[in-house]
Amino acid sequence: MSAAGDDGLDEIQGIFFEECAEGLAVAEQGLSAMAGGQVSADVIAGVFRAVHSIKGGSGAFGHMALLAFSHRFENVLDEVRGGAIPPDAAVTGIMLGAFDILSDHVAAAQSGGTPPADAAMLEQLDKLLANKGAAAEPAPAPAEPAPADEFGFAPVAVDLDILDDPFGFEPVAISLDDLAGEPAGGWTVRFGPSRDAMANGGEPILVIRELERMGGHILDADLSALPPLRDLDPEESYCVWTIGLPATIDEADIRECFDFVAPDSLIDIRRQETAPVAAPPKPEPAPEIAPLPAPALRVVETAEPAPPEARPADAPQQTIRVDLSKLDQLLNLIGELVIQGSILSDRLAPADQERVELPQLARLTRQIQDNVMSLRAQPIRQAFSRVPRMLRDLMAATGKQVVLETIGETTEVDKGVLEKIGDPLTHMIRNAVDHGIETPEERLAAGKPAEGTIRLSAEQKGARIIVRVADDGRGIDRARVRAKAIEKGIVSPDAVLSDEEIDNLICAPGFSTAETISNISGRGVGMDVVRSNVEALGGRVEIHSVPGEGTSFTMALPLTLAILDGMIVRLADQRFVLPLSNVVETVQPVAGQVKRVSPGSEVIELRGAYLPMRRASDLFAIAEHQRRAPEESVVIIVESGVSGLVGLMIDTIENRREVVIKSLEDNLYPIRGLGGATILGDGSIALILDIDALIVSPGFNKFAPKGMAA
Amino acid sequence: MSRIEEPGIDERKVVTFTLGNQLFGIDMRAIVEIREWEEPTPLPGVPPYILGVTNLRGAVVPVVGLAERLGWTPSPIHARSCVLVAHVGGKQAGFLVDELADIVVINGADIQPAPDTGVNESNVVSGLARIERRQLGSEANDAMVLLLDLDAISLVRQIADIAA
Repeated sequence: MSAAGDDGLDEIQGIFFEECAEGLAVAEQGLSAMAGGQVSADVIAGVFRAVHSIKGGSGAFGHMALLAFSHRFENVLDEVRGGAIPPDAAVTGIMLGAFDILSDHVAAAQSGGTPPADAAMLEQLDKLLANKGAAAEPAPAPAEPAPADEFGFAPVAVDLDILDDPFGFEPVAISLDDLAGEPAGGWTVRFGPSRDAMANGGEPILVIRELERMGGHILDADLSALPPLRDLDPEESYCVWTIGLPATIDEADIRECFDFVAPDSLIDIRRQETAPVAAPPKPEPAPEIAPLPAPALRVVETAEPAPPEARPADAPQQTIRVDLSKLDQLLNLIGELVIQGSILSDRLAPADQERVELPQLARLTRQIQDNVMSLRAQPIRQAFSRVPRMLRDLMAATGKQVVLETIGETTEVDKGVLEKIGDPLTHMIRNAVDHGIETPEERLAAGKPAEGTIRLSAEQKGARIIVRVADDGRGIDRARVRAKAIEKGIVSPDAVLSDEEIDNLICAPGFSTAETISNISGRGVGMDVVRSNVEALGGRVEIHSVPGEGTSFTMALPLTLAILDGMIVRLADQRFVLPLSNVVETVQPVAGQVKRVSPGSEVIELRGAYLPMRRASDLFAIAEHQRRAPEESVVIIVESGVSGLVGLMIDTIENRREVVIKSLEDNLYPIRGLGGATILGDGSIALILDIDALIVSPGFNKFAPKGMAA
Repeated sequence: MSRIEEPGIDERKVVTFTLGNQLFGIDMRAIVEIREWEEPTPLPGVPPYILGVTNLRGAVVPVVGLAERLGWTPSPIHARSCVLVAHVGGKQAGFLVDELADIVVINGADIQPAPDTGVNESNVVSGLARIERRQLGSEANDAMVLLLDLDAISLVRQIADIAA
């Protein structure tokens, strides 16, 4: 095994596949926009570029099937872009299909699996290509020929794109240079040697010659500091030169020329936004230099910038790729900083805290924390982007027609949350298509448009992200859900259930009402999985349904998985963290308020109602002598998605604070009943309780306690 | 992975320690740090040999009673008890040991493959080596060290067995 070489290649391949994913996202967005009627040269060119760079990389890495397919796809896109194939609905449909196959190809190349069967799609693409002349002749150039913008620069970019290098960018700046005969966005260097530079052996002429050798020339010489001749000391320098250099030169190379210049000299190297007016190159820094580009001329120049996309080589780099684990590490360290800060504040008296400016440090730490968190934030678009493809598959499988509306795609969520909402989202969309949206015939009969609508929305509300999937389908058939739940033994036949409770039954484990088990949903795991996944994230699911009008599923998710608002409680000599989102109220029981109803179960009376109660000392097997009586304890009423309100008896409540969540599986494995651990101000560890998992344990009938909304 | 076999290169540094009367060794490359014993935070619902979790510079790391884990009598806690924090299969874990002995260099050629030692999992002991043991106030004498393969002590695997 030649480990090193493989690793290097794997890493580059990894980058290629990351870029593929980005390219696919861009292509999908563009094609979806086209399908939605937004056909513009920019959109088509964007799709073309995305597919083109996937093709380029696939060839380089030897993914021949991907290369072959993307090449054919690209050919069609090229003709669409050129206007030979009109991007009408039929063509866009074929291209969307081709996009799906392209995604499959990428996935196959990445996993090393079998490439998808693409023969039929290739045939369709070839047919498009074969018909292009016919389509183009009768209606010459239905689309504007090529992306023409007001500067007329685009054709340059197009031509270069067709060049067969995978990344297709570099030459653009050079060709602009050729057109302008002058460096576009080159360097401007101001150089003023210090007065005594020459005494130190710093001969300015040598530096200027070096710059000229690199293609630079003097644009201006500022002689304002030059004294009258009789005061002039020939051994001192008085001039400040402005030197223009082509954009293609590296800044480091320019700086190198100044390596031996006296340290207090003026050296100012900056990129020009626009090319200065062509100045005749001056061979020598002659004292009588003609006054050079007047400022007014420059203004004229700036008014006519090259379109930014035509010169990507010049564009400043806007983003960098960072390994997610590095961000995690940074976040972890910031967490440590926060903890150390609270240790300090615990140890110092308030007056001393002020004296050492601890509050300022704390504020700064907090800002750093917020900043690092924002680094991990990603637009939710990434999770939404796989929905259109899924919907197309679902529509094909069910014969239903669905239009997708997305709102709030730019809402930012933590990367960790983003990764975990994919599955719940998939189930919710499937559920909406399979159970919510009716067939076109049914819809027409009900007086609705044949096409159903699924609205996917995201918004931030306080510290929560609300993601909602709403359909305009038939709504939940409560009679059927109830009958099914009774049949499955989930509820007793004589249970009195509110509409809301019935709706929530569809999230019960093992529940399924689909009359036929389809391959889409109806295996009875879907909504159960949604609920448990979302609750594992510290979120909750709400269902709202109006018969005949539609159903909406709402996920309320925490903004981040890294920090939790918690209540620190004490049990025996250990401290635990209770997520504040679960806490409803706290009760100091009086004698007789806690009653035993069976050897293994107790209830607490609260304003006339009896709530089930668990002793944390039982759950954590606390030694008998450390246990407290209910009268000496505190009962925290917690709300859990699966069993409603439950009392949890602990010893005392210490305080409320935000804690940094440390996962147990990082170094061990997940432990049932614990959502992780945190490190408190004194450096000790407190375990974070997972209320749902903790109280749903033997002795608790999930749907027995009624009269409470889940 | 291919490794160039050269005389003198295949030497490894081994941290040796005792559990009861037995001398054990762990490859030094796996060791993250050695810390004093500190009562860890107990966890619910874990096998008895997982003594709890501790704070290792901001990471929550399990502390394992190595003696129990290997099926020996649990180590009593005393003043010289210490915890070897080591890399175990991509994770970190602390192992409670009775007493730290030494750091020795063992030549790969001097390591015998482990015979079936009767320890729970035969692959946990990866080899046996004879070393010169330095002890205070006495002459150096030979001792046998059992080299442990920490990756074989995968904590996750053990749990899967228990759950099954």
